[in-house]
Amino acid sequence: MNKKILILGVIIVGITVTIFTSFSTPSETVNLDMGRTHGTISTSMGSPILGNPSAPITIVEFGDYQCHQCNNWYHNTKPSISHDYIETGKINLVFMDLAFLGNDSPKAAQASYCAEDQGLYWDYHDLLYNSQEPEIDGGWANSERLKAFAFSLGLDMDLFDGCLDSGKYSKRVQYNIQQAHKHGVKGTPGFFIVGPDGQQQIGGAQPFSVFKQILDPVI
Amino acid sequence: MTQAIKLVFSHSTYLAISFVIFASMLVGLLLLSEYIFLEPYVVSHLPPGTEFGLFLIVILSALSALVIPMNIFRISVLKSSKQKMNGSIFGSVIGSIAGACSCGPIGFALISTFGSIGATTTAFLTNYETPIRVVAIAVLTVTYFTTVKSLKIECKINS
Repeated sequence: MNKKILILGVIIVGITVTIFTSFSTPSETVNLDMGRTHGTISTSMGSPILGNPSAPITIVEFGDYQCHQCNNWYHNTKPSISHDYIETGKINLVFMDLAFLGNDSPKAAQASYCAEDQGLYWDYHDLLYNSQEPEIDGGWANSERLKAFAFSLGLDMDLFDGCLDSGKYSKRVQYNIQQAHKHGVKGTPGFFIVGPDGQQQIGGAQPFSVFKQILDPVI
Repeated sequence: MTQAIKLVFSHSTYLAISFVIFASMLVGLLLLSEYIFLEPYVVSHLPPGTEFGLFLIVILSALSALVIPMNIFRISVLKSSKQKMNGSIFGSVIGSIAGACSCGPIGFALISTFGSIGATTTAFLTNYETPIRVVAIAVLTVTYFTTVKSLKIECKINS
């Protein structure tokens, strides 16, 4: 009798563990709204939304983690936009990859989505821009360094390594690049300010004053 | 040295050529390096840490505007050899393309058109932008001094 109870217990525990594991294993559908669009841009494969998801205006940024001008914009313009518009809930931001500058660019973009699997997309995104070095493909964003960044954020390294090494998000990054081509983005960073009345394209790492002049009248 | 400059730029044609070269190079390089934007508004922008890049662009444009008209003068007026002209053009072109091929439209077009070769070229020109510009400035400086020397001899200018 006790033996039967023991076997039954093991089976129940086994089934419970299997069910729990299958639900907690991240899949590509995590954090993805497959129908998400902003204006004419399909952002379903882009980053999670930064800021208030129901904000009436969205900045869609096309960028490359190895691009110096993207880094300029990240450090010189984005903080003011975050402070004045994103943190106040007036607008939100979506990052899309136009990873074209070197061999390490697509891998860095894929790594950001591997971090998203564990709920740390924006932390990883920030870490990449804060760690950017001047040389394109100089090794600062190679696979080893990308894994080291993940480790420094305390991510589960088995999950992260498996994700990055398998190229799980390769097609996702390619899809984002296709969206950039489709919308005539000819360099990074490139922006679309999408509001209820349409969308406006801005090219380059333009200063905060330009974004303010466009955003203020439509908010 | 100043006599050679006076000799060339006393002609309004060479002064005009110089102005056109300086203005077009300066505006072109400032646009490509994203120090100024034309759309959606005309705006200038000097991000922290990019001051030295701006300095190099101004020096490069000024040297090109000085050296190229002097060599045009040598060739057209004095019928001299075109050898030094090549040096000035080389310095200007190399210095200009160094900053053009980054993540902007030219780099993007280069990579889109030529694939991995374009990507390698873009990466090289971006990674070594500052050293290439410094070398271009050095080439233009050497060309300037040799041009002045030639003008002194060819025009029999007393120093």
